[in-house]
Amino acid sequence: MQTLDRRSLLIAAAGLALMGRAAHAQQIDPARATAFIQQTGEELVAAINAVGAPVAQRRERVAAVLRRAVDVEGVGRFILGRFWRTASAEQQAEYLKLFEEILIRNLSARFGEYQGVRFSLGRSQARTEEDVLVNTVVERPGTAAFGLDWRVAEVGGVPRVVDVIAEGTSLRLTTRSEYSSVISRNGGNVGSLLTAMRQQIQQLAAREGG
Amino acid sequence: MSRMTPPRQSLMAKRLAVPVLALGLALGLSACATRPDPADAEAVAEFNANNDPLEPLNRGAYFVHDGIDTLVLRPAAEIYRVFLPPELRTAIRNVLANLRTPVILVNDLLQGDTQRAATTMGRFLVNTTVGIGGVFDRATEFGLLGHTEDFGQTLAVWGAPEGPYLFIPVLGPSNPRDLVGTGVDTAFHPLTWAGNSGETLEAITITRTALTALDTRESLIETVEQVRTGSLDPYATIRSAYRQRRVVEIRNQGGAPAAARGTGFGAGTGVPQQGRPGAPTPQR
Repeated sequence: MQTLDRRSLLIAAAGLALMGRAAHAQQIDPARATAFIQQTGEELVAAINAVGAPVAQRRERVAAVLRRAVDVEGVGRFILGRFWRTASAEQQAEYLKLFEEILIRNLSARFGEYQGVRFSLGRSQARTEEDVLVNTVVERPGTAAFGLDWRVAEVGGVPRVVDVIAEGTSLRLTTRSEYSSVISRNGGNVGSLLTAMRQQIQQLAAREGG
Repeated sequence: MSRMTPPRQSLMAKRLAVPVLALGLALGLSACATRPDPADAEAVAEFNANNDPLEPLNRGAYFVHDGIDTLVLRPAAEIYRVFLPPELRTAIRNVLANLRTPVILVNDLLQGDTQRAATTMGRFLVNTTVGIGGVFDRATEFGLLGHTEDFGQTLAVWGAPEGPYLFIPVLGPSNPRDLVGTGVDTAFHPLTWAGNSGETLEAITITRTALTALDTRESLIETVEQVRTGSLDPYATIRSAYRQRRVVEIRNQGGAPAAARGTGFGAGTGVPQQGRPGAPTPQR
C-alpha cells in the first residue's frame, strides 16, 4: 500500500515536472523578445522624429505602435490592482481607455523634448521566470544616455511589453502606487481616479497644442 | 513670600511647556496613518508594502519641501544652469564627485567588495592626477566606470532594516537607515577630517555643500518637473520610485545611477532619472 502511494507520488511528480517543462517551452524566447523590442523601438523613434508630419498624425503613428506593442489591458489591470474588482464594468472599460490614452499622450505631449532621440540594444537580455528583460540605451542630444529595460512577455501567442524599467524604477509599480494612492485618499472611490485621469489627458492635450 | 514666587524663567518654561507638549501630542497622534480595516487583507498588504506609517506627517513635510523648492531651491538651480556654462558645471560636478570618492571607497570596503573598491581607488588616483584635481573624468575614458555607494547601502548590506519611510524637507525621500548613512558619510568625507578647523576649511565646506545642492537640484530639474506636473499624486510617485531605486542601488544592479555621475547626497538623490511614470517611452 505504502509503495503504491509512493509510486503514484513519483508519477505525479514526474507529470508535474513534464508540465513544468512544457510551460517553460512556451515561455518567450529571448532572441524573439529582443527582435520585437528592436522593431518596436525603431518604429517609435521614427514616429517621434518625423518632424515634417503634423503632430496629430505623429500621435496616431505612436498610438498604432503602442496599441500593437503594449499589453495595455494586462498592464492596466495590474496597475489598478485590488480596485479592479471594486470597479464596475463601465468603470473598468473607461479606465482602460483612459489609461491607453495617457500612455499615448505622455509621448505626444513631449515630441519636442524627445526630438533626435536614438536608441540601441544594450548588453544584457535577462530571462526571468515569466518574461524577458531587454536592455536598451536611450540617447537624446545634450543629455546623458540612460538605460531602459523593457519587460516582454508572450500574451496570446505574441510578444508584448508588460513593463518598462528606467534607472531601476518600474513604471508599472510606480503608477500602481500613484493610482492606488489617489483612490485610497478619495475613500476607495474608483470614479475619483477616472476624473483625475480625464483632467490629466486634457492637460497633456493642451501641452501638445502649445 | 519670595519663596512662593517661582523664578521667572521656570514659569516661562512651564507656560510654554503645555502648548508645546500639546502640539507635540497632536502632531504625534495625527502623524500616524489610519490603518486599513484588518479584515481587508489586500488593503493591509498594501499598507505594509508602502512602509509609510507616518504618511500624514510625511505629506506635511512634502508640502513644506515643495514650498521651499518652488521659492528657493528650483530658482537657485535654474540660475546655476543659466549663468554657468555646461563645461564649468561638468567640471564642478567632476570635482565634487572626486572629493566624494574616498566615501565610496570606504563603503565599498565595508561591504567587502574589493573589486569595486579597486575601481574606486583607480578612479581617484587617475582623476586626481591626470584629471587635474578631479576637474576631468579621465578614469571613465580609461574604462574605470564610476558607481556610487553610501553608508545607507552599507547598513542594508549588513542586514539593517530600512525603517519607516520618511520625507525630509530639502533632503528629500529617506528612511532612518539612509539618514544615519548620510550622517556617517559626512563623517567619512575628506573635508570633515582635513586639517584643523579654520575659516578657510569652513568656507570650503560651505561652498562644497552649496555646490552639491545646486548640482543635484540642477540635474533633477526636468525629472522633478515631470513628476510634479505629470503624476496624479507626486508624493506617492516619489515614495515608490525612491524605494525601488534604493533596492536596485543596494544590490549594485543597473547602470550608473545619477549619483555616480554627479555627487551623491546619499539620502537625497532618490528621485528617479526617468520622468513621468506611465508611458513606456524614453524619458528623462
